[in-house]
Amino acid sequence: MAVTGRKRRWLRRAFVSLVLFLAVCIAVFFALPRLLIAPMNAARSDVILHVAIDPHSKADDYVAHLYRQGMAGKIVCISSQVSWEVYPADYVREHVISLGAPAENVTTLHLPLVPCAGVAVPMIAEFVKARGWKSALLICQPEDSRYAGWMAGRIFEQAGIDLSVSYAPEDKEELMQAWWRTHWKVQRFVGKAMNIALDLFYSECR
Amino acid sequence: MSFLRQSKRAKKLLVAAVCLLLAYFLTPVLLNQPAHWLIREDQLARADVIVALGGDNRCNREKRAAELYRQGWANKVVVSGIQYAWGIHTAEAGKRYVVSLGVAESDVLMIRDTPNTRVEAMALEQLMRERGWRSAIIVTSAFHSRRAMYTVERAARDLTFHSSPVAPEAPEWQPDRWWSRRGDMFITAREFVSWTNTLVSGWQ
Repeated sequence: MAVTGRKRRWLRRAFVSLVLFLAVCIAVFFALPRLLIAPMNAARSDVILHVAIDPHSKADDYVAHLYRQGMAGKIVCISSQVSWEVYPADYVREHVISLGAPAENVTTLHLPLVPCAGVAVPMIAEFVKARGWKSALLICQPEDSRYAGWMAGRIFEQAGIDLSVSYAPEDKEELMQAWWRTHWKVQRFVGKAMNIALDLFYSECR
Repeated sequence: MSFLRQSKRAKKLLVAAVCLLLAYFLTPVLLNQPAHWLIREDQLARADVIVALGGDNRCNREKRAAELYRQGWANKVVVSGIQYAWGIHTAEAGKRYVVSLGVAESDVLMIRDTPNTRVEAMALEQLMRERGWRSAIIVTSAFHSRRAMYTVERAARDLTFHSSPVAPEAPEWQPDRWWSRRGDMFITAREFVSWTNTLVSGWQ
């Protein structure tokens, strides 16, 4: 009887733990947008760093709009290659120029293929510092904004550069519409959360 | 020993220590093994076509395909890719690359708009039937090779495929101690998720 009672107690504890674990997972899942997306913070800067390079993004228009408003005097489009000598940043540069930014003020930065953002951000900070810019406005994907603000902010601060982070409002609007029912949106939120979690285990990515 | 026999706590501690030691020495073996299983490399044989599957930003698949072409394993090369945006097509970039590596332009064909391996396998099967090809050498990254072969062989059971993946060397994915490298950790985990998706015929 005593053994059965102990077994039952263990089973109950295991069941309660499982339910609690599932509840926490569900709560974290639905909190992902709040956890990952920071409020927009577009501050006047020396340069706009455009890393929100995605075929479905409205970030090009947003970057051109910020430039026209005088938020920065220069734009740098940044990407690594997607195929042999194919850097989307080059195409984005052309697009931003077609949206009204003068060609001499829009440049590109080609990054090597790296395992995580923690390796790429110091290269960007170095690029900005080498040109004597003291402040930068990073335009990224909405789900990257909080982590980019924290991680890139720290690295830029060490390089003596003020960094603010923003994203296209249309991108956030689109991303938030029924996100938990849309495969690519769930994939982006969960993928980002997984990547951040993985970064914490590797010193070069922290 | 008599102390151990007498003390329950000491016995439990000893068991825990042995378990920890075993876990310490066995975990690398247990983790390396599944990663090695992801790789499939066949004996090379002459084929009608060499196929470089898409999705490699470094283009090492295309490079390997060009190498096999130059060695005379087949007379045609197929490259695959997707329409990205702003007029970029990764298959066209792959074609330019293999041509720059010595493959005759007339010997290069493209499979377009193949966002994943299953769609790629279906497009390849169609192309092979249209051209009357019976055999192909499949070139892909090492971690992707077993799943790619599983997928193409299921798509065209009567055709012959040989796997000749890119060597698993840095900066490419490597199976040994994959968990110790950030990039390899992500690739390995994603590949196992993709295997699950392939086996249950999930998202395409």
